Amino acid sequence: MNNTLSKAIIILVSVFLVTCTNSCRVKFVPDFDSELYSKIETTSKAVDRFYLLMLETTSAKDNERAYSNFSKQYVEIEVELNSLLLQNKIRPLNENSTRICEIILQTWNKYKEEHKEDNSISDGLIKINQTYMQDLFFALQVSEKAKEILINQPK
Amino acid sequence: MKVNTNDVILEMLAVIKGTVSDHWDEVKTTTNQFLQRRKVRLELLAEMLEKGEITPARFKSRLEDEKLLLEAELNAMAVISKAIAQKAANAAIDVFEKAILAAISTI
Repeated sequence: MNNTLSKAIIILVSVFLVTCTNSCRVKFVPDFDSELYSKIETTSKAVDRFYLLMLETTSAKDNERAYSNFSKQYVEIEVELNSLLLQNKIRPLNENSTRICEIILQTWNKYKEEHKEDNSISDGLIKINQTYMQDLFFALQVSEKAKEILINQPK
Repeated sequence: MKVNTNDVILEMLAVIKGTVSDHWDEVKTTTNQFLQRRKVRLELLAEMLEKGEITPARFKSRLEDEKLLLEAELNAMAVISKAIAQKAANAAIDVFEKAILAAISTI
């Protein structure tokens, strides 16, 4: 009788331990989101296209690069960046990617304000701004792609 | 029911070590990519200043942006580290869980 009781207690404790480990899986980052990754790529391409077209189709002469000629595109891209930030912000455990998005938005707005202030932009500054924005997007892509490490982890 | 805790702990450690080393190349490659991009960026910045394509004020402003870029890169590295830590910890928990289940089955 005593032997049966102790076995029952051991089984109950073991079941409890297994249940605990099942519910005690650790989670430090959200799962990889392929849709969000595509959105990062699309927005990164839009920024790249914006600078490359500005460089190829306009010149700093004859006021071709006046801010007003680009204000609409600046706003369109800002809308995309805001949306990207929001999508990252609402995901739990995603503070690192969210911070990268905030930096991207902050930098984009800074470059927009500089363009507005100077009411023109040189070829050199276009190339530099394009490089800085692409490198920031690269960091964001890395942060999302890193979550792929978690695919096939024990459930 | 008998669980050999020493064996279980050793197996858990091996799993953690294996997971971290499996992904070590990712950490190394990404760090090198960030460093290489920084080198290219700073070279471009210096070249543009030399050619008079940007003003000293804008040059200084972009150097300030380097701080934000570094912060972004460190955040990206933090995600890689956290993902590896999560995978390793859960693999270790998995080993523990299997050991307990195996011990139950012997009762």
